[in-house]
Amino acid sequence: MIGANKERVDVIDKVLGRPIFAGDTKRKGSLFAVVYRSPRPHAWIRHINVGLAVAQPGIVKIISATDIPGKNRFGAIKKDQPCLAENRVRYVGEPILVIVGETEDIARKATGFVKIDFEDIEPIHDPFMAEKSATLLHDSGNLLSHRKVIKGDVEKGFAQSDVIIDHSYSTTWLDHGFMETEAGIGYLDDAGRVVITSSTQNIHYKMKEISRVLGIPEDRVRVIQATTGGGFGGKLDVTVELFLALAVYYTKKPVLMRFSREESFLSNTKRHPLYIEYKTGAKKDGTIQAVKVNIIGDTGPYISYGETVCLRAAIHATGPYEIPNVHADSRMFYTNNPVCGAMRGFGVPQLAFAHESQMDEIARVINMDPLDIRMKNGLRKGSLTATSQVLNHSVGFIETLRKIEPFWRARKKNSQTSGFGIGCMFYGCGNTGISNPSRCHLRLTEEGKIAFHSGVCEIGQGSDTILLQILLEALKIDEKNVVLIRGDTDTSTDVGSTSASRQTYISGRAVYEAASSCRSYLKKSGFYHGRTLIDIFSEAHTEQNMIFDGYFDPPTSQLNIETSAGTPYATYAFATHMTEIEIDEKTGVCLVKKVYAAHDVGKAVNPRLVKGQVYGGVAMGIGLALMEEFVPGKSESLDNYYMPTSMDMPDIEVLIVEDEEPTGPFGAKGVGEPALIPQAASIMNAIHDAEGIRPFQLPCHIERLKKLIEDKKK
Amino acid sequence: MLPEFASVIPESKENALAYLSSLENAKIFAGGTDLLVKMRRGESCRHIVDITKIHDMKDVSEHDGLITIGAVSTHNEISVNSLINAQAPSLTRACGLVGSPAIRNMGTIGGNLVNASPAADSLAPLLIHDTMVVLESKNGVRKMKLEDFILAPYKTAIQPYELLTFIEIKGLPGYREGYKRVTKRATWAISRLSIAWAIQEKDGLYKDIKLAIGSCTPMPFRPRRIEESLKGLAKNEETIQAAVEEIIYEIKRISGIRPSFAYKIPVVKALLEEVLKG
Repeated sequence: MIGANKERVDVIDKVLGRPIFAGDTKRKGSLFAVVYRSPRPHAWIRHINVGLAVAQPGIVKIISATDIPGKNRFGAIKKDQPCLAENRVRYVGEPILVIVGETEDIARKATGFVKIDFEDIEPIHDPFMAEKSATLLHDSGNLLSHRKVIKGDVEKGFAQSDVIIDHSYSTTWLDHGFMETEAGIGYLDDAGRVVITSSTQNIHYKMKEISRVLGIPEDRVRVIQATTGGGFGGKLDVTVELFLALAVYYTKKPVLMRFSREESFLSNTKRHPLYIEYKTGAKKDGTIQAVKVNIIGDTGPYISYGETVCLRAAIHATGPYEIPNVHADSRMFYTNNPVCGAMRGFGVPQLAFAHESQMDEIARVINMDPLDIRMKNGLRKGSLTATSQVLNHSVGFIETLRKIEPFWRARKKNSQTSGFGIGCMFYGCGNTGISNPSRCHLRLTEEGKIAFHSGVCEIGQGSDTILLQILLEALKIDEKNVVLIRGDTDTSTDVGSTSASRQTYISGRAVYEAASSCRSYLKKSGFYHGRTLIDIFSEAHTEQNMIFDGYFDPPTSQLNIETSAGTPYATYAFATHMTEIEIDEKTGVCLVKKVYAAHDVGKAVNPRLVKGQVYGGVAMGIGLALMEEFVPGKSESLDNYYMPTSMDMPDIEVLIVEDEEPTGPFGAKGVGEPALIPQAASIMNAIHDAEGIRPFQLPCHIERLKKLIEDKKK
Repeated sequence: MLPEFASVIPESKENALAYLSSLENAKIFAGGTDLLVKMRRGESCRHIVDITKIHDMKDVSEHDGLITIGAVSTHNEISVNSLINAQAPSLTRACGLVGSPAIRNMGTIGGNLVNASPAADSLAPLLIHDTMVVLESKNGVRKMKLEDFILAPYKTAIQPYELLTFIEIKGLPGYREGYKRVTKRATWAISRLSIAWAIQEKDGLYKDIKLAIGSCTPMPFRPRRIEESLKGLAKNEETIQAAVEEIIYEIKRISGIRPSFAYKIPVVKALLEEVLKG
């Protein structure tokens, strides 16, 4: 079962179009809610007049900040963001009112009748302005977070270096572009509890936020995950849930919400634009001596995952290399731009662009092969990371390079303008330096089944299938004996979010633990010698022994506040991508022809699903590298925000490395974000190989690439 | 969410024209790939006349080197029509590149012209084929040159009561002909730039050249004066460079200097060189 290409548990339903997405949900007498959003980036709200809007036929209720019964603050990490703006707005798209109407049309039309007097405040356009401006976005100032990673003595390292490479890199906002926009339905159940079914990556978190905002106990709230059409981090923060909860609270009726693509673009969190100054020192033989990195990020006006990205970017700033002297400064500033949050990789794809470009530049200057320099410096068993963590297990990085090596050595340019590039990465699985446990419950049922209670949100990546495979293998039981009960706060406990490439590793291990305890009981009860589960149930029932719990919290340590020394993650994933491209010098079009992607996943529970993740990661990496660019105020929808299509996809060969992680289920780690992280970097290095030009700004779309080509001619 | 509207689906040209002359604020649905987008953005539209079921207006036929194409021929239909491919391969190619398969199955050549986006893929090929548009109304028929029909971006000479029924293009047998466009991704993209060409050469001399450059000027640009001046000139580096210089000069003269020219001018230059060299 482990290592088998098991068919996804939802594949037949998905192919037949059976799953009900939140936006398709129908309940009798449903109302529809829309959000009235700020048209201003930064302003005082002087007066709100909803008189005309309320008077529109079919309008049931208009809710503002003053109607919030509980606390008007939410946030994944810290509770700083108003659910509905009070007297001030800080970004275009900030919610001010919830308008509930009898139909979608009525509710949407009513937004045109709302009159709000704003008094503009000088907007903070970028983090550099935020640092200097006297205009403060919050009482605490414009700096959200400053994290440092310090190891050794970086100045001494540079002094010992023969070569120093110093460059600045910049990246921009990206939208997740999940296929299904944010949607949900809310209602009161027979007991008067608030029930919200939504498209989400984390049901328990949403339950807690609803309880806070409504000022009611958590046990009066139930959150169910609807079939979810993609997340990539964009459905970690609250999207429709709090608005729905408020609408249900006031109307006592079922309420539906469904964002248009335009609303999704306007309201959803974005990938953080990072400005990265990167200085690398190396010996003539290619040994990296020192790395100094200064990261400046634009987090928008509220925290969301800004602190997470700030710290994770610093920890991963070196890339998968053992570097004796490191000094990384990472600062995240508030601005009046879109709220930036979680997006596949939490800042690490941006840093991979920088550290991999640097690696190639060093190699070029000392005339060393790009693969060799990575082999020489790569993390391996016994290595000390930038946070001085000793890597004792599951360090398959060098093996990913070895998998790529034959293709790299055999590479041959098909034309003057084709090129090959390598991109590497490491990525800590799970949340950074904090407890982030998962749980699982197995229950023997009267019908002779094992009920598998899972709080894990399947968002399309395949976690239901992976967790089931782990369960079946650990229990040595047939699939027909298992019933999956999932995605409902009433039937599961908090497992943490589907994020940080953590579900296979952490929830997988929790499933394994529950299964192990269940297995011992079944063994003792004679199941493996032919006794039926129905038989065993009656015995278990008398013994009050029907439920088997599993729990796993990856062993991490809190990081030193000054140096970040410590164990931020229990384990890391590693990867190397090699990409072949072809450039049309006339037009600046860069075609991605072939990708070899080697990933150390610990153990591939389902190799086909690992490949699926990598294919998707490569697609997203092509977008990050060559075309995706969210321009606030201009990027309104998929009409003018270009994401790659199937026609932009190269051939992809996935090479799986299995350096087993002892704390993972059957040795498994994560691959969700690693699949994306090195891709853009490898394309940038391939562009350099093809044309001798180096892009310092992402995306390197046709116009930027053409300009680099023209500038080189001059 | 679309605004409320009423629609009719006439099955003959005559019926369609009758509706157009009697209905107030009627919009023509010729595939909807632009109209529905505008309506979703809130553009009001009380009456819709769906002309896609008028079978006569899908005909493609040839008489004396003139090809008549029904206005509700879809991009896909045009891209697989062998008659068009034989006489106007640049149009075949351009229609095969429009949007996505879904858009090519819905969008029509007539709709593309009436929408008159400066980035419309069909425009440059139609220009080199000296296209005439046929406009009909209850009062009669009038024909116009495509260049005169399009007044400005998204603005044409069509009247609210008129229907663009057919286009007529001149076949160019014996020409080296093609269409190329530049997009930010492989497909399903608006052309950043496009060029259509049809070139006849003999014994190392240019006999006839027809060029149209899309997305640089308010409407695709046909450098007729320069085309004329190239006739009979030797095909060599000197001729090509001089012609390219002149065309770029003309583009800048028509459009003024736009920020996008930092990208577009070097690309147009490179593409023109490639096309003229053949």
